[in-house]
Amino acid sequence: MRLVCDNLYYRYPGTDTPVFKGLSFGIDRPGFISLFGFSGIGKSTLARIISGEIPPDKGRVDVETTGQILYSHNAERFPGWESTGHHLERVCDYGKRDLLAHLIEEYAVAPYLHSRYSGLSMGQKNRMNLIRYLVQDFGILIADEVLANVDEPTRNHILAGIKELLADRIFLYISHNALEVARFSRLVLVLPQNPEEGHTAIRIIDGLDEGTGQRTYEERTLQDRVYQLLRAASGMKT
Amino acid sequence: MGIFKRLLQFASIFFTGLAILWIIKYAYSFSDYLIPPPAELLQVATSYWKIYLAAVVNTTAVAIAGHFSAILLATLVAFLGRSGSVIGNLTRTAAYNLQAYPIVAVAPIIFLFLGDGLASRLLIAAMICYFPLLLSFIGIFSEPVDQVEHFFRTTGRINWRLELAIRTFENLDKITTVIVGSGTMAIVGTIVAEFLAATNGIGYTIRKALYQSNLAKILVALFLIGLFSSLYLSLIEYIGGRIKMRLMGG
Repeated sequence: MRLVCDNLYYRYPGTDTPVFKGLSFGIDRPGFISLFGFSGIGKSTLARIISGEIPPDKGRVDVETTGQILYSHNAERFPGWESTGHHLERVCDYGKRDLLAHLIEEYAVAPYLHSRYSGLSMGQKNRMNLIRYLVQDFGILIADEVLANVDEPTRNHILAGIKELLADRIFLYISHNALEVARFSRLVLVLPQNPEEGHTAIRIIDGLDEGTGQRTYEERTLQDRVYQLLRAASGMKT
Repeated sequence: MGIFKRLLQFASIFFTGLAILWIIKYAYSFSDYLIPPPAELLQVATSYWKIYLAAVVNTTAVAIAGHFSAILLATLVAFLGRSGSVIGNLTRTAAYNLQAYPIVAVAPIIFLFLGDGLASRLLIAAMICYFPLLLSFIGIFSEPVDQVEHFFRTTGRINWRLELAIRTFENLDKITTVIVGSGTMAIVGTIVAEFLAATNGIGYTIRKALYQSNLAKILVALFLIGLFSSLYLSLIEYIGGRIKMRLMGG
């Protein structure tokens, strides 16, 4: 399993400033990878380029994977004419029924399966939306702020579960939360705020790769890693 | 808007207008021939209401038939015009250019070819509300609802039926408003057609009253037109509301 972005250039139509200039990086094995950076730096744009939603102006994305690339973001909605439970059943891939039942229980959304999506809280919406992606067949799932409205303990529980569930696939998690990114990621791809002259240099920093019930590092290590991520995101030397 | 609210609005506008007319009449001592007094209006209303009611029912029936034909045709053409294909682009261009031409100006030609019967009235009613419907429907059907469609698109589940269902559902309020607005135009179109050349309907009755310079008859006709328009538009709003409530699971 491999994901390589090679020399990507992208500029939004009608703008003068490019989002990326010669951006390159590679991921050569599956796992929980995060894409971190400050607002407006181009994380979602990069996600959309990787998923094939928008083509880069220059450069290419090489993907070696057994399944499709899915990109999910937190502004998505379910169709309003059906209940969330009916929708989840309808879009669940063949052979994923057991996983669907497990996730419904694990994410504590069973009481809301008869509700319409519009009637849910933001946190419930985030969890429902993530579930429908997790019950698809995919090789790479890009999750853009998909748990932004979920409380921290629940979010940590969900992320730890995803690490186990998607151990054989690439889970590219986009978040502004340096703490969770540092804790759960195997690798963190940091898009710096002030790209070097001439090209966008992505920085790759090791995460602490925390799984369910494991915490093998000191509090100080976590703090250092968070500061390292924030320094990298602000464009300072790490 | 509820049926009673709409009827109340119509009644207040109509009777305010009538009151202003009578104030002007008595302030400037206009003759009964020019502006009929209340007693004469009442007498005309009681004598002719059955004939005028039959005429306005006839007009409303033609307007509804024309309106529904236009809705069906606009839906079909907007469906073709929503895509980025050659047919879609051609349909959109044709729709935008043709709608600039006033249908009423073409009405005499329609009467020349089809005569002064039902077909001409129906065609003019349909055509007069068809283009506003078409332009709105093209806009609605060709505008992606990305927040809902994204999942289906990224997972390869999207198809034209789902796309249409999502866009229709997300724009139900807009569609209802457009249909209500075009309903008014259908009634106006039918009356204009009848006024021009037809031999039936309330427009034709108004034309006869105009030749007799009988404002009382025209006022009775206007009252019935307003009443039936309000009822029809309220019915469309009610149906739109019920459909939405049913789809929303209410």
